[in-house]
Amino acid sequence: MAASAENSSKEKIVAAVAIGLFLVIFPWLNPGYRYLSLAITTGITAIALYGLGLQFGQAGIMSVGHAAFIGVGAYTAAILSGNVGAGFWVALPFSILLSAFIAGLVGLPSLRVSGQHYIIITFCFCALLNIALTNGGAFTGGATGLDVGSIDRIFEINFDQLRNAYYLVILALFICVVVIYLIINSSYGRTLNAIRENEPLARAVGINANLHKIGVLMVSGALAGVAGILQAYYLHHISPALYGPFPSLYLALMVMLGGARLIYGPLVGAIIVNFLPEIMRLDPIDSRIAYGVGLLIVILLLPGGVSAGLFGAYRWLMSKRQQ
Amino acid sequence: MEIFIQQLVNSLSVASVTILIGIGITLIFGLAGIVNFAHGEFLMVGGMITWFLVTSGLNFFAALLGAMILVGALGFIAERGLFRFTLERPMNGFIMSIGMSVILQHVVIRIFNEVQKTIPDPIGKVWVIGGVDIIAMRGVVVALTAVVVAITYFGISRSRYGMALRASIADQDTAALMGIPVRRYVTGVFVYGSVLAGLGGALMIALFPITPFTGSVVIIRGFAVSLIGGLGNVGGAVGGGLLLGLVDGLSAGYGFPEWTDAYSLVVMIAILIVRPQGLFGGTLGPRST
Repeated sequence: MAASAENSSKEKIVAAVAIGLFLVIFPWLNPGYRYLSLAITTGITAIALYGLGLQFGQAGIMSVGHAAFIGVGAYTAAILSGNVGAGFWVALPFSILLSAFIAGLVGLPSLRVSGQHYIIITFCFCALLNIALTNGGAFTGGATGLDVGSIDRIFEINFDQLRNAYYLVILALFICVVVIYLIINSSYGRTLNAIRENEPLARAVGINANLHKIGVLMVSGALAGVAGILQAYYLHHISPALYGPFPSLYLALMVMLGGARLIYGPLVGAIIVNFLPEIMRLDPIDSRIAYGVGLLIVILLLPGGVSAGLFGAYRWLMSKRQQ
Repeated sequence: MEIFIQQLVNSLSVASVTILIGIGITLIFGLAGIVNFAHGEFLMVGGMITWFLVTSGLNFFAALLGAMILVGALGFIAERGLFRFTLERPMNGFIMSIGMSVILQHVVIRIFNEVQKTIPDPIGKVWVIGGVDIIAMRGVVVALTAVVVAITYFGISRSRYGMALRASIADQDTAALMGIPVRRYVTGVFVYGSVLAGLGGALMIALFPITPFTGSVVIIRGFAVSLIGGLGNVGGAVGGGLLLGLVDGLSAGYGFPEWTDAYSLVVMIAILIVRPQGLFGGTLGPRST
């Protein structure tokens, strides 16, 4: 038993190092402009997905309005840069804090209503924010949106170069994965699991479920804020359509596709959805159909998502070899 | 006064489509316990089928029947093939229905295209009643909806099938012991709701153009109507539809038309938080999460 536990922790480290190494050397494998920019988009999406994965996988609170919080982060950055002239590094904490704050605010109804009713509320909120951004006049740029400049150089690094932008995103993703890993494996993570599995029982043993629910939603919102500001500065232009109900639905589908509970789940989901259509050369319509069909298959056959499926297959192979 | 009556009929015909989709959702969510996010897409598919049949030369009312049957069949396949397996975990069913709505939307774009579709006014007459011009098709839409509402209402509250259905919602196990085929009722409700979506789609395309993205707009209004009225409450859905129509009409006339969609969202959020059982009372939907 002890040997297998040691074995699995060794496996974990090997997997983490291998994935990390691959992500670091990826730009040197000559991926070309298309794949490198796709990798950046994937990384940004994955950061937001980790937040969603945390709140759904650990605390059991699903949301189909998550793009709204990415939007809050992105618009905070764009408005700060447009009205005050604040750059990326100044705006970053504001994006994070405001996204977390709004996420906590939207999360308040989750204390009262649960399950599907709360999901519908998140969807409504996202649609509402979209309408507000579209009707916001010059302040939010209306339906056309806002332009965003470049990230200020530090140590003479020009983040307009794709490779440098990639490393910035990977750094952010790395920090985010570490934070999520620490949360999942801390007593806080186990508290969240207790709330997910049986909320009345968790309350009965003295867990302040309300506080922890809002807390996890705020962490999730903060990650969405990071994704938002990165996206705003990477695209140089944001518009309400990026943060409406549809992108939110796709985020929820990505989390389910990848699997919310395992640490690599959200990353797997983001990679599948962003890279597979490109590799298989599907046009956008076919790839959406494939995406939906894939989701149905995953929910019916692999409820833990693709990552759990891969993990299970790996376990099965290993046990076969040992016999 | 004439203009007011004209406006009234127009608003009623718009509200009719909303009521049809709302009844479908209220039955499927409140009674069958399934949250079908693709219900708006069912309506859109119904409209597209009607468009296709009418443009290939069929009479509108025959096309309407065709749309109802085909969308009903779609609902049957979806329930038996997909939702049946997630009845124990409604959350998975919910996510699956989002996937299904993505699929339906893009399959329709793939088969036809994303340009909006219209059909000529199927009746093409204007009734003059007491000096008021009323477009005949709008009157027909309101009348058909009224008939469907009456059938559904009495079917659920008076007939023995409706009683059996309500019994299986109240206590699934006891109902099953009394010989009620609970699962078959779930399928039945789902198919009935889908047929209503097909009808709503056919009626909608008789009034306005439809695009493959219409479903996602309609679904929000449908959820708003069914949640305002209380899940499983047919009369409530009618009340909710009329209320929403009124609010929309007033805000378009006197308020800020660009915020029209926001009102139904705000109302829905407020009702979900304050009175999850709806204004007129209803079930709370599936109990487990």
